[in-house]
Amino acid sequence: MKKLLQLVFGDARNVASVAVALLAAFGLSRLAPAAAGPALALLLIAAAALQSI
Amino acid sequence: MGIIGAHGAPLLMTAAQWGGASAIFLASAVEWVEAFTIVLAVALTIGWRRAAGAAAAGLAVVALLIAVTGAGIEAAQADIGLIRAAIGIFLLLFGLRWYVKAIRRYSGRTALHDEAQEFAETREQLAQAEGRAAWVVAFKGVLLEGLEVWLLVVALGHTLSYPAAAGSAAASLVLVIGAGVALRAPLTRVPENTLKYLVACAILSFGTFWSIGGLAGEQAVWPLGDVTLLLLFATYAAAGRMIAWRSRTPGSAAADMRA
Repeated sequence: MKKLLQLVFGDARNVASVAVALLAAFGLSRLAPAAAGPALALLLIAAAALQSI
Repeated sequence: MGIIGAHGAPLLMTAAQWGGASAIFLASAVEWVEAFTIVLAVALTIGWRRAAGAAAAGLAVVALLIAVTGAGIEAAQADIGLIRAAIGIFLLLFGLRWYVKAIRRYSGRTALHDEAQEFAETREQLAQAEGRAAWVVAFKGVLLEGLEVWLLVVALGHTLSYPAAAGSAAASLVLVIGAGVALRAPLTRVPENTLKYLVACAILSFGTFWSIGGLAGEQAVWPLGDVTLLLLFATYAAAGRMIAWRSRTPGSAAADMRA
């Protein structure tokens, strides 16, 4: 089961990347809603860049 | 004004009813195209039969929900944001993982066919697990879009009869399936890693759109609406290739040519 979850969702770094990006974007949406979406995309791209190295 | 039949029922639709039917047809087509994009992406990974099964299961659940809840449409409308957010987060987790894997293959940090180096049993387990996950992605995509079409039918269906509204939505589904099936053959000629990379970009785009849109309000977060999906896809596709190019290892150029 653990292996299946890991295969579906990736390792802890993947889950943490998505969680942090989403929390940051959600926080930003309270202040500037229209900036939250692009910010989420940029954070995910940054996370992918870090994970790809 | 429509022509009235013997029992007072309209035989032909009025201009307003045609307008309503057209609006439902077009709006539903947009939702079905989104659903079909996900099914198409998954089909290229786990095969058409399993992807179509997932799509059929998603549609069946939508039909069941309509049959069970019927007039409880207000409850579904209240929860659609949460459903969208939950499915979006799932797609983000799944999509980011695939995105990173494809970038690493492009950059030469992971072999293009590294799974071939593993034992057959492990490889089969990996394939099965990924297949199950991909099936769930297709199922949830169709479920969410199907629910949105249902909301459209109910919201816009007051201008004409409910069967006519549902018929418009069903007709757009048939059209989208027909167009999508025609795309099958050209897509099979795309190299494997490129295909997986594009699938990851598409899944990430939907995940980004639905997750934060569901959590913070779609209209506030994405003022451009569904067009944003294309922009997200282009951004992820361009950024991923740039990351791969910046982090490429010696000898990856040849691998890049093969991908």
